[in-house]
Amino acid sequence: MKALVIDDEEDVRFVAQMSLGRVGQMTVVVATGGEEGVALAKAEQPDFILLDMMMPGMDGAATFRALRADAATATIPVVFLTAKAMAADVQRLIDLGAKGVVLKPFNPMTLPREITAILNP
Amino acid sequence: MIAPSIPADEAERLTALARYGILDTTPEEAFDELVGLAASVLQVPVALISLVDESRQWFKARIGLDKASTSREVSFCAHAIHDDDVFVVSDALNDPRFFDNPLVTGEPKIRFYAGAQLTTPDGHNLGTLCVIDRHPRVLTCEQRSALRSLAHQVVMQLELRRQVAERTSAERELDRFFDLSIDLLCIAGFDGHFRRLNPAFETAFGYSRAEMIERPFVEFVHPDDRAKTLAELDRLRAGQQTVHFENRYICRDGSAKWIAWTASPSPEAGLIYAAARDVSERHEVERMKNDFVATVSHELRTPLTSIHGSLGLLASGVMGELSGEARQMVIVAERNSVRLMTLINEILDFEKLQSGKVEMDVRPAPLLRVLERSIETISAYATQHGIDIELHCPRATILGDETRLSQVLVNLLSNAVKYSERGGTVRVVGVLQPGMVEVRVEDRGCGIAEGAQKRLFERFHQIDSGDARAKPGTGLGLAICKAIIEQHGGSIGLESNEREGSTFWFRVPAVVMQVTGEGQRS
Repeated sequence: MKALVIDDEEDVRFVAQMSLGRVGQMTVVVATGGEEGVALAKAEQPDFILLDMMMPGMDGAATFRALRADAATATIPVVFLTAKAMAADVQRLIDLGAKGVVLKPFNPMTLPREITAILNP
Repeated sequence: MIAPSIPADEAERLTALARYGILDTTPEEAFDELVGLAASVLQVPVALISLVDESRQWFKARIGLDKASTSREVSFCAHAIHDDDVFVVSDALNDPRFFDNPLVTGEPKIRFYAGAQLTTPDGHNLGTLCVIDRHPRVLTCEQRSALRSLAHQVVMQLELRRQVAERTSAERELDRFFDLSIDLLCIAGFDGHFRRLNPAFETAFGYSRAEMIERPFVEFVHPDDRAKTLAELDRLRAGQQTVHFENRYICRDGSAKWIAWTASPSPEAGLIYAAARDVSERHEVERMKNDFVATVSHELRTPLTSIHGSLGLLASGVMGELSGEARQMVIVAERNSVRLMTLINEILDFEKLQSGKVEMDVRPAPLLRVLERSIETISAYATQHGIDIELHCPRATILGDETRLSQVLVNLLSNAVKYSERGGTVRVVGVLQPGMVEVRVEDRGCGIAEGAQKRLFERFHQIDSGDARAKPGTGLGLAICKAIIEQHGGSIGLESNEREGSTFWFRVPAVVMQVTGEGQRS
């Protein structure tokens, strides 16, 4: 399974990469922002994208729309990563068409399992 | 002539006289009428109210005499004040004390004198009400009695005059405080209008007092606070005191100020007496503190996520096996990062609850489901501690935010498990009450000393259990529970005996069903 992690925070990105890679035994590619993420998604065709909501410049929602707008990436499942634990916000992301939401701070030991559960309900 | 001697109580007598503040004042109708009455009743040409001071007799009221005073030396009254009863000189020319007195030999040619003492309530003779004739006379019994009565009336009048003066000066004193007060002082009517305001209102709000009295006061209140202000007014109208009430007033410049009130109604007069002060600064400090806590917590959480995640991965061994001690070290670090994260999450949660930023998603939910879910959440933890959880639940539908109530219950349960002996049992019991459900979490743990019970729901308060096994927590759990339950319009508390265990309970609104059975599990 190939994962694409898009997050502007280097440390969070690295922990997610290690979690999915080492614990989840996935192939992980990472991007530091929305534009890079969209380009990588096209080139790498990952099985899913873990997308941070709060990013400077092109934020999670804008990145999601860009992914959906391009036929090459439109069907790749997206799981949002957000610190906003409010129920209403989560619902908003689901309404956007997200496959699911993982709340920050996430547990790196269980993150791969959580994502697998979201992708295969 | 024999000059009058000085009475034994002279010093006190003069102090008493000074207390009335009447010497050298202008004529007053009440006293003039009394001398007029004396002259007419006793059929004499001269009647006087004479007050004897250190050196003279001074007339507060007089008929038939031009002089306003005479020297004390020649005064008949200065003799009269030595006596207890009406002092009578029937014929001055035949009296060794007066025959050569200039008031006898010259104007007003006194032959007959009768003076009734003006005796103060504390027994000092200030002077007399006296009548004078130019012919010798005899005072009849009735005349003596009339003179005595009139003298009594003069004293009553003097007393009244003094009390009015004292009250006026006391009022003036209070007015001075009213004007000087930095706090807001006012009298308002039950009709919702201010009646009287102190100048502090002008300084505080920028409106003139006349402007503020003209309109109903609720018009000056912030629109969001009007409903509760009117509700408070209703309580005052019902005769209840306002111990502490806060609302916002809008100033002339459009800014809002937080005002804290205490008020006391007078239902008979339809008035409210109130004192208030500007507490905006306190509110601002509170707001800044909350913002600060929220910001700091957010800023702390981001790096902690990485620390916690990294340590978790290291400790798990997926990043490569660590040596025994190194692994121990990483586990210590990870455990503490979890504690720190829990603390930050709880601080954030509590601040949100306190500032009212959390909306409760209140809807009907079966009580049994809420209790079962909470027990499920805690079951792994309970098993780890070797604790059984028993549930007794009647049928009821509670009205509340299921997630939040479950949070409360999980918190109470984790405390109960934490403070129970291995192998013990924790009971969760639902009790129906009119319109309410009480949920009780009972343990047989070490209990809580009575003195410590009161402060338990305050934030960052933890009981010193004296237990060797450290039971760390954030000290916020119960404060959060209390905030959640209070937002539901419920209440929370505990019953505990040291060494016998504790029962934490909370009550929330519920639709109580007909009791047809009860769910149980253990």
